[in-house]
Amino acid sequence: METAVTFTRLVMLTLVPYVLASQGTMLAGRAGVFNVAQEGIMLVGASVGFLGAYLSGGSLLQGMLLAMAVGGLFGLALAYFTTTLKMDQFVTGLALFFIGMALSTLLYRLAIGITLTPPLIPTLREIPLPGLSRIPLLGEVLFRQNALVYGAVLLSLALYLFLYSSGSGMALRAVGENPMAADSLGVNVTLTRYMTTIAGAMLMGLAGAYLPMVYTATFTEGMVRGRGWLSIALTFFGGWSPHLIFLGALFFAAVEVLAFRVQVTGVGIPYQLILMLPYLATMLVMMPTFRRLQVPAFLGKNYDRERRTLL
Amino acid sequence: MTAVGVVIPFVVSVGVAFAAAGVFLAFMGFDVPRAYGTILLTSFRSANGIVQTLLKFVPLLLLALAFTVPLAAWKFNIGGEGQLIAGAIGAAAVGIALAALPAVALLPALLLAGTLGGALWAAVPAWLLYRFGINEILTTVLMNFVSFGLLDYVTTEVWPDPAAGHPTSVPVGTGGRLPLLVSSPPLHAGLLLALGVAAVTYVYVNRTAAGYELRAVGANPRAALLHGIAVRRLFLLSLVLGGALAGLAGAIEVAGVHHRLIEGLQSNYLLLSILIGLIAKGNVLAVPFVTFAIAVLDVGARAMQRTMLIPVEVVFVVEGLILVFVLLSDVVRRR
Repeated sequence: METAVTFTRLVMLTLVPYVLASQGTMLAGRAGVFNVAQEGIMLVGASVGFLGAYLSGGSLLQGMLLAMAVGGLFGLALAYFTTTLKMDQFVTGLALFFIGMALSTLLYRLAIGITLTPPLIPTLREIPLPGLSRIPLLGEVLFRQNALVYGAVLLSLALYLFLYSSGSGMALRAVGENPMAADSLGVNVTLTRYMTTIAGAMLMGLAGAYLPMVYTATFTEGMVRGRGWLSIALTFFGGWSPHLIFLGALFFAAVEVLAFRVQVTGVGIPYQLILMLPYLATMLVMMPTFRRLQVPAFLGKNYDRERRTLL
Repeated sequence: MTAVGVVIPFVVSVGVAFAAAGVFLAFMGFDVPRAYGTILLTSFRSANGIVQTLLKFVPLLLLALAFTVPLAAWKFNIGGEGQLIAGAIGAAAVGIALAALPAVALLPALLLAGTLGGALWAAVPAWLLYRFGINEILTTVLMNFVSFGLLDYVTTEVWPDPAAGHPTSVPVGTGGRLPLLVSSPPLHAGLLLALGVAAVTYVYVNRTAAGYELRAVGANPRAALLHGIAVRRLFLLSLVLGGALAGLAGAIEVAGVHHRLIEGLQSNYLLLSILIGLIAKGNVLAVPFVTFAIAVLDVGARAMQRTMLIPVEVVFVVEGLILVFVLLSDVVRRR
């Protein structure tokens, strides 16, 4: 029982970067912009999130805000290149991924340099919710977590309600399914794509900042370790809908926690195999499900109002 | 379009990117002329510089082609790193298991095993795309992470060299080493092999009917399908070919440079090769030239980091900016 509680607690903790990055991917994708720069944006988020917190004397909030702002700039660049200039989304995304990756290490080196011991920031504190945290088992698992765990849950819920029960949410989905139809009904396609791409990239920046603030207390090169790419898989896996993405994130987080635990305790399996587990599991799960998944019809394409046909 | 029309946007992009980074460096208080002198000229100042550059050029060229060939069919192979590692493991396996063979048998077997290893590694995402329609960007990347574990396993459990402080395999047989073109500083014959493969790749993609089909699929898959081209099979083929090229790069690294497996032998080649493929806009003929330029920048950037303590990532950002400006030049031309 004790281990089950610890395990579930850790899953909830590990869930956060997946949820944030995937919901960000989903948000832009639902308006037709397929962001593939997650890994780069998360790295920049981790770097500036750490630097913001470190240089402000340990204010994690400032770090998070900085990470979101820089992430938003990447989103703005992606939106401008794809929606305004109609450049290819994959090519632009890969270019931004490259720049993000380079920038993350560059900024750290310029601000900190090379040190013998890594500079440290405080990690996110747990905030036990009054009353709720005293529920046996459940309180331990759900209500004694850091603020971003609650944030990730609430964000998923809010996005679900927004997308499926509000007029602007429906308009947003229409932009990703059939922008021509949405346009003819007076929906501002360009504005929608800008807003969702920027907001989505801000979430990715925050997802990156979570890593130094919860796991390591410092920034190391390439510390995102594929979580950005996995979050694309998760977004597909969750059929580009917020509630399913949240459920899928439970699976991704569980695999990560499991891999870590087995690596520490060792159960006679080579630990290298355990390290491969999240990636292999992802591919295995996608095999039977991928074709049946819902994907926004206009995903990855750019809309040109002056053309007579959609494609 | 004329040759001048192709080259001018490149030149302008490079100029603007360097100017932007120069302003930034000057602002940070670095000696910009000296830094740029180091970046651009280190490769040409000494025999060692030239050889260093060429040794980077070889794997970068093959990996850039591994990205470019599938790109012709508009498929994105982001798995060159894993395919290079799989190729290196395949090559080392043959080189270690058959170490006693003479060079005339061992070297070709080793290179072939590497090529097959890379092709096989790429065949997984290619098959997942063919059979289940799974997005290849995703699966090729995931296979990279799987390859890191495999390389670690092979170098620490299967053929470990206990004397090395870092995960390293025992050496391959001496017959598995590529001959040297220049002995001091050592430059292996993989350079000629890579250039030959690049020439063949160019002919295949741009000068044969099969290559034309590949490009037709990339330009408009629906039209290609309606004209009777087996689109999905070509997607599969293009990714496997890309894997073979990357695998060969891995084999050459083993046979020419390390003579064994070393963890980290993939360096940052994947990122640079994607950059090269995108800057070259998928044009196979342009790839060797862009690759050479990137290799020069990379050697220069590392020298700059050593002598002037300017982080090497400055140059990566410059390269990223060059890419963005090259892409933007298309938009300007369209107007």
